[in-house]
Amino acid sequence: MLKRIYDSLASLTFGLWLLAGVCLAMAVGSFVASERSAINEVPLFVWLRQAPPRETWWLWLTLAILVLLVINTVLCSIDSLRAKWQRGSFLMRIAPQVMHLGFLLIVLAHLLSASGSLKESLQVREGMTIGFPDGSRVEIAELAATYGKMGMPTDMSATLRYAEGGTARSATIRPNHPLFYQGVGIYLKDVALVPYHAGLLEIHKEPGGGAALAGALLFTVANLVLLAKRRGREPK
Amino acid sequence: MKWLLFTATGITLFGGFRRPLLATGILLELAYLAIRGMDLGRLPLIGPHDTLVFFSTSIGIMALPFLFFPSLRDAELFPWLTGFTVAFFALLSLPFPAFAMPMPPVLNTLWFELHVALAFFAYALFAIGALLGMLFLKDGHRHLLDLQYKAGLVGYSFFSASMVSGGIWGYYAWGTYWLWTPKELWTSILWLFYTLYLHLRLKGSSWERAVAWGGIVGFAITLFTYLGVSILMKSSHSF
Repeated sequence: MLKRIYDSLASLTFGLWLLAGVCLAMAVGSFVASERSAINEVPLFVWLRQAPPRETWWLWLTLAILVLLVINTVLCSIDSLRAKWQRGSFLMRIAPQVMHLGFLLIVLAHLLSASGSLKESLQVREGMTIGFPDGSRVEIAELAATYGKMGMPTDMSATLRYAEGGTARSATIRPNHPLFYQGVGIYLKDVALVPYHAGLLEIHKEPGGGAALAGALLFTVANLVLLAKRRGREPK
Repeated sequence: MKWLLFTATGITLFGGFRRPLLATGILLELAYLAIRGMDLGRLPLIGPHDTLVFFSTSIGIMALPFLFFPSLRDAELFPWLTGFTVAFFALLSLPFPAFAMPMPPVLNTLWFELHVALAFFAYALFAIGALLGMLFLKDGHRHLLDLQYKAGLVGYSFFSASMVSGGIWGYYAWGTYWLWTPKELWTSILWLFYTLYLHLRLKGSSWERAVAWGGIVGFAITLFTYLGVSILMKSSHSF
């Protein structure tokens, strides 16, 4: 009985059905999800608890299938390594399993972010300060923006002053260049120069970021190894 | 400079009977894209005109090695299908104006350019995979399926790298490597579908027709991810 369950959970056919199931659940979800949903404003697990079931059912279904897909991936990798351990080149044996590991790390990253992420929006003016739980403060020293010929912003920046380890520091943030401070990222989203210099900042905490990057790097490196090793040979 | 694009489109549309001629059309389209990029001072990757031309050119460039593969020398339909596909997306771009607006600050990063360019290279290889799948279903030659697999595998690698660079860009631009929007969902669907496609091949030779269909369905999902989501749904990728 246990052997039958293990074989089913570790089977390639089951994995293929699960992949098709995740695709289908997410495809339906893309049409069901409301444009006004707060799904990106709060940690995912908070949203799942608070939003009505008619908005969340597809994501619960996706998560359930993903749990099975994770189990299937782990068991398939173990079976594959056991079956092929003595055959072929080491890199060819290990590369697909490292890609699986990368995928699993990315799932873990989403799990960490879904339970512990943070997003806060702040409207600020020059001279204002932002307080942090440990009592430290970050001052918005200067807000600046430049505009192109068509009146569209071509650059914007905020100069921040803060203390770190007893030393006064200053940093300039702009789109794509946040400041990482006290475990969170401070992002500049918008700047207005009239009637007074004001800006929109966002504070983000993304606990899954490290695991996602590690997973992505592992996946990419193993993918490149697989491509290099398969170059010029007929696919099997 | 649109005359260059018109000329390139004409040659790719009708040049399928001579592969070097088709290649010339593709290179002319690449020249148009390069001139447009030099005018803008960046990769032309914003707005329907530029992205459709980039997509069309990517299909042509990615198809070049396939056009001259010895095993595809006898596949007379392949250059015609490639030419039609390249021309089709180039023609789609023509009604849209070629904007010369400055790059919004949030897009002004190498991660964005890498993310979009890699995605289009992947889309292009998925298109070629679909064409090879159609030829396999028509002729049944096994080497067509092998080439489809290669296109799919390299395309998948480009697409994975595009998702990685997109995640890094998102982290620096928005504070998160992931947003729950239709575009991200369909991007994940596309990635998961090609994961399924690559694993489907492990089922053996009795699944060959399913694999060929997988490459075709994959390209349909690609088109929905690229065009359908932008037209039908609101997304963080609408700039």
